[in-house]
Amino acid sequence: MSLLKPFSKLPGLNTANILLVENQEQLQHMLADVLVKETPLTVTVRLAKSLPLPVDESRPRIDLVVFIINLTSELSFQSAEDSLKYLDPGYFLGKVCFMVTNARHASVPTERLDALRRLAASLHCPLLFAEDQTPEGVIGAAERLLTILKVSAGVVPMTTALYLSNLTRCTLPPDIDQPSFD
Amino acid sequence: MEVEVEADGGAAARLSEAAQAELLELCEEQFTHLEKLQNEIILCESEFSETPQDQQSVNRLIATEAELKQWLSVEPSLLANNSEILLQAGKEELLKLCSELEMVVSCCEAKRDKLKETKELEQKWLEEKKQVLKAAENHIERIKMEKEKLSEHNILLDTKEKIQKMKAYQEQLMECLGDVLEAHVPFLQNESSSSKKKKNVEDEISEDLISLSEILEVLMNRVLNTPHDPYVTIDHTFWPPYVEMLLRHGIAVRHQENNFKIRLEMFF
Repeated sequence: MSLLKPFSKLPGLNTANILLVENQEQLQHMLADVLVKETPLTVTVRLAKSLPLPVDESRPRIDLVVFIINLTSELSFQSAEDSLKYLDPGYFLGKVCFMVTNARHASVPTERLDALRRLAASLHCPLLFAEDQTPEGVIGAAERLLTILKVSAGVVPMTTALYLSNLTRCTLPPDIDQPSFD
Repeated sequence: MEVEVEADGGAAARLSEAAQAELLELCEEQFTHLEKLQNEIILCESEFSETPQDQQSVNRLIATEAELKQWLSVEPSLLANNSEILLQAGKEELLKLCSELEMVVSCCEAKRDKLKETKELEQKWLEEKKQVLKAAENHIERIKMEKEKLSEHNILLDTKEKIQKMKAYQEQLMECLGDVLEAHVPFLQNESSSSKKKKNVEDEISEDLISLSEILEVLMNRVLNTPHDPYVTIDHTFWPPYVEMLLRHGIAVRHQENNFKIRLEMFF
């Protein structure tokens, strides 16, 4: 099947699997390098350019799917949007996250960020902003992803992915429909 | 439904054989439970259908309700019955908790210091503004007082007084001048002459001669009344030696072009 399903396989002991989906394949590699260094939890990072993924029986169960979107490119946004269709709806209960880079870039039209916000809010997913130009920025982004990943993988007692997603989901500012002053 | 994966693999190394065996048993139990649930999930998985966004919200609602029910029914239970395991697990948890709390403490302290700094800056700013306000208020009060004192009538009276004083001073000065001139430069008298001939000749010359005080008067009046043209033409009424004296002492100067005109000059 072309859909990714969240509970199709048994979880591994003390492991977490994260899938980074990025059209431009830049930040994924840097994040992967930081994420695998985590101890004691063993983090497996899988990279993809877009969904659907080719059929692969050895793929373990994916705990968190992260869509990395570069706001300066419309293609990045489009590809992420299209990939959403290939995820089982069970993933949207806290196992999907959006990460955005270059949000402060001068060439970004405000409509794109607004559209992204609306998308994230309708799916009740967290929206993270990352700074990918410096190593500290990448480490910071990786740490935030790890926090969410640990919850989605179930290693944090008393918290479930659904519970956390209720807290971290993206909300629309009330004046999102009003024109901004630039 | 999520199943917690026990993450205390590190603790096993420090436990005794019996405790380890017990832990492994517990793990096995949980694992079989997990497998059972997994099978159930796979069986229940319905065929994928179109999911518009509202369906997703319904899913969310159902899942949240199920989770809520689960939490309500769960009761706290010991992790394991073996006290050794519990002790080990407890120690680890407490250590983790301590390090996390220390992080929180340092973060709060940093925040607090920052806030203190901000507060001090703001207070300084406030002080400065208060001082400015006080200075402005003082200024306003002073101006108000002055305004009250200075009504127009008062100004008029003050000015009149000043004029009176100046007039008195001027009269004083004039009197002094007259006295000095009388004492040192008396009015030219026609000499009680000897012969009539001389008298006649001298009469012609000395007629209409005016005294030095009158010359000075003429000069002063000219300067004050017509400041644009302070020159006085010398005529036969001015006794030449007087004119010469005035010129030499710098009290009067000649006109640049016309030697018969003189004017009063500032002198010291």
